[in-house]
Amino acid sequence: MNLNILWFILVAVLILGWSVMDGFDYGVGGLLNFIAKNDKEKRYVMNAIGPVWEGNQVWLILGGGAVFAAFPLVYASIFSGFYLAMMLVVWLIIFRAVSFEFRSKVENAGWRNFWDADITVTGLGISLLLGVAIANVLMGVPLNQDHVDYQSLFSLLNIFGLVGGLISLSMFLMHGSAYLIMKTEGEVQQRARVFAKRFAIAYIVFTLLFLLISPIFAHRLLSNSFGIIGDIVPVIMLIGGIGVILTAGSSSDIKPFAYSIVGILGAVASLGVGIFPDIVPSSINPEYSLNIYNSASNHLTLLVMLIATLIGLPLVLIYAFYAYKKFGLKVKMDDSSY
Amino acid sequence: MDSLALFLARFQFGMTAFFHFLYPPLTIGLGTLLVITEGVYVFSKNQEYLRITRFFAKLFAINFVVGVATGIVMEFQFGTNWSQYSSYVGAIFGAPLAIEGLFAFFMESIFVGVMLLGWNRLSAKAHWVSTIFVALGSTLSAVWILVANSWMQSPAGYKIGSNGIPKMTNFWHVVFNPYFPSEFIHVIAAAWEYSAFFMAGVAAWFLIKNNKDMIMRKALKIAVISGVIVACFQIVLGDISAREVVKYQPTKLAMMEAQWHSERYAPETLFAIPNNQTESDGPQIGIPGMLSMLAYMNPAAKVMGFNKSISYINHKYNLKLTAAMFPPVLIVFWSFHIMMYFGFYFALIMLIALYFLFKGKLYDSPKMLKVLWFSTFLPLIAIEFGWFTTEIGRQPFTVYGLLTTVKSVSPNVSALDVGLSTLMFTLIYITLASFAIFLFKRELKERAEGKDELAGESAPAAASNNKEVLS
Ligand code: HDD
Ligand code: HEM
Ligand code: HEM
Repeated sequence: MNLNILWFILVAVLILGWSVMDGFDYGVGGLLNFIAKNDKEKRYVMNAIGPVWEGNQVWLILGGGAVFAAFPLVYASIFSGFYLAMMLVVWLIIFRAVSFEFRSKVENAGWRNFWDADITVTGLGISLLLGVAIANVLMGVPLNQDHVDYQSLFSLLNIFGLVGGLISLSMFLMHGSAYLIMKTEGEVQQRARVFAKRFAIAYIVFTLLFLLISPIFAHRLLSNSFGIIGDIVPVIMLIGGIGVILTAGSSSDIKPFAYSIVGILGAVASLGVGIFPDIVPSSINPEYSLNIYNSASNHLTLLVMLIATLIGLPLVLIYAFYAYKKFGLKVKMDDSSY
Repeated sequence: MDSLALFLARFQFGMTAFFHFLYPPLTIGLGTLLVITEGVYVFSKNQEYLRITRFFAKLFAINFVVGVATGIVMEFQFGTNWSQYSSYVGAIFGAPLAIEGLFAFFMESIFVGVMLLGWNRLSAKAHWVSTIFVALGSTLSAVWILVANSWMQSPAGYKIGSNGIPKMTNFWHVVFNPYFPSEFIHVIAAAWEYSAFFMAGVAAWFLIKNNKDMIMRKALKIAVISGVIVACFQIVLGDISAREVVKYQPTKLAMMEAQWHSERYAPETLFAIPNNQTESDGPQIGIPGMLSMLAYMNPAAKVMGFNKSISYINHKYNLKLTAAMFPPVLIVFWSFHIMMYFGFYFALIMLIALYFLFKGKLYDSPKMLKVLWFSTFLPLIAIEFGWFTTEIGRQPFTVYGLLTTVKSVSPNVSALDVGLSTLMFTLIYITLASFAIFLFKRELKERAEGKDELAGESAPAAASNNKEVLS
């Protein structure tokens, strides 16, 4: 295996890390106004992600940095090509990043309602846009011979993109609900069980719809580089979704979350298998596509980054484990909570 | 690429960097001060130091989230607005950025959650360790981002490949490029200096209201002692930075000092109104021979003038730059001098405060307390003008000698798109800054009104809250 393939896999792992670790933050945020009935419950729900969301967000920053370093041309053409969509994502991220801290500082109903709406809208928005962007990449981007693409925000909003967006939206809402089943008790937990089941059903429906229409929009998914094995990978998504449906109502607090992780794993694996060895396919001419070779940094950079990742990632997991452990499985509120 | 889009992209970068850098210095410096105050508490068990820590941690939290929110934009922007730059340097510049995420941001952001929400969950020692990790993480993040920035100032450890794009040849030469050590130390010292002034200013505000506030007396003392050390050192560190400029960026030095013509016994110009058209300094005050002395330790040394420095780098990098491509000397000259004058002002203020402290008059002197309160945010001005010097003085390059700004911008992004996003960012950043100021003020008022920093709600009340939710 060469470094380019290894880096393709590593970037997929970082995307997986981000979706699993930060995905539930977006899901919980998106659910906030629906699952919690009053200020106390809202604080209770927010404190389920309170001590950890900041660290989780770094997965996104790390993913961006890793693509920048390992595949600079991909970074350059996607970010500039999807300009306004990217800007929209950044604005949502900004307003989400300050919301928890700001909300908790002032006890005023208007102020709190504003930030609750903010948390909900940004959570839903980011979840949706992610899938829209990925579906568009799968479909192919109008890259010219210089690997530059010119298109508008609205061209991203096509049917295939929207179905992709609904997949990621339902996936993160399912994941957020499953996380709340694990972290909460009582009524909030009961509601989370209902939500988890519903969103898992939505996730399965949208995934099937996506597979059904992809022959029309994204032929490459039919002729992936792994043959029959590649065709089977999306089944993992369905297994995860079905697992959540079956376990959400049970007495187990942890199983739904575990199945939800399986569902996400399936989604990231399907994406990787479907697109390899390209990273950004060109819809103008396959020769203009950016693949793991023509977009990559030179050997030494990839090697240095690999060594850094092998040292750094275990450390990250240790810190994260420590933080989750200190705050326990179930939310407990005290005077320093949000 | 039209020039309006280029202008807007530059404006947007400068503006977002300006706003981002209002926050990280306090994260870095206050983080370190909290390690000190909490450390004193852990070892002396004196509750007063815990109160200092917990109160300033609240201010830290507000500042921190805005810093994070504005920082994410910085990273995205390289791809959105500067795609040619990103494709050109990604293999070198991207590496420290990714390493920063891996080794610094994770540490900082994970432990910040533990630190801010874990007061009742960790033993005093374990909590202190989390605080140490937060300070360490933010300092490491400065290490790696400044590796990236200093590499753009003095590129090293690379070779131009067959496709005309630099390839990394030695990672450690990239990290320890010539500019890195001086830039890093100067920036970290700036962060500490600002934080000392911040803590001193806040403490002074409380003491003006009530000079018997023992907790704020202690905070002020810590702030003044650390402030005086950093402020005096900073003058020396700034001088060291300037000497790197002499060596690697002669064009920047000429602009910083408004040195139009090469000369021996070059003066350190203290006041001038440089004019690019006439290539002269207008009314001017200077110390003869001082610049030659500072730059080369020899008053007779020859300092390169502006035009000479341009032909020098044209020759060195095989380019054809003209004086018209460089920014107005006036801007670089005054950015540098404003920073420098503030540097002397800070050292002076802290020395006077130290004198008052020794005399035992510091807490009872409303005048001195007012000066400190007035100076709370002034270091930010020096910090921002420092960046103006560094970044504007580097023009017309983004990577000195290798890549010009004109060739860095995204070719496929229209002026309308950049204009729209710039407008949004401006509005968002002004909103965020206003929220931050509003919340800072609120915390000060609440404490002044007697709300205790140890407990927002008392612990038993919070526990019963939890039960109510569940029932
Ligand atoms: C890691 C890199 C980096 C860092 C830490 C900074 N900058 Fe910078 N700056 C750049 C990398 C850069 C750049 C990407 O290289 C730009 C964009 C266009 C250019 O000429 O350089 C730039 C341009 C640029 C400009 C426009 C220059 C001009 O119009 O000629 C200003 C005013 C600033 N920056 C100001 C700042 C401030 C106030 C900073 C404080 C945080 C700062 N920069 C940090
Ligand atoms: C172009 C330059 C820069 C980029 C791309 C950048 C990027 C970022 C990002 C993505 C974050 C959020 C991290 C998180 O979620 O924890 C951040 C925050 C931070 N940045 Fe920057 N940054 C830049 C300039 C700087 C500089 C020059 C420094 C210090 C010398 C700095 C120090 C910090 C620190 C300490 C934080 C932590 C939180 C805070 O800001 O309060 N950054 N930055
Ligand atoms: C007499 C005092 C000072 C001198 C002589 C001085 C000198 C310098 C010089 C020459 C640069 C440009 C380096 C370059 O182009 O790369 C610089 C940059 C900078 N200065 Fe200062 N400085 C002084 C005080 C201060 C103070 C008090 C602060 C903030 C509290 C500050 C903050 C900065 C920052 C943030 C930068 C940009 C980063 C860098 O390039 O190091 N400086 N300073």
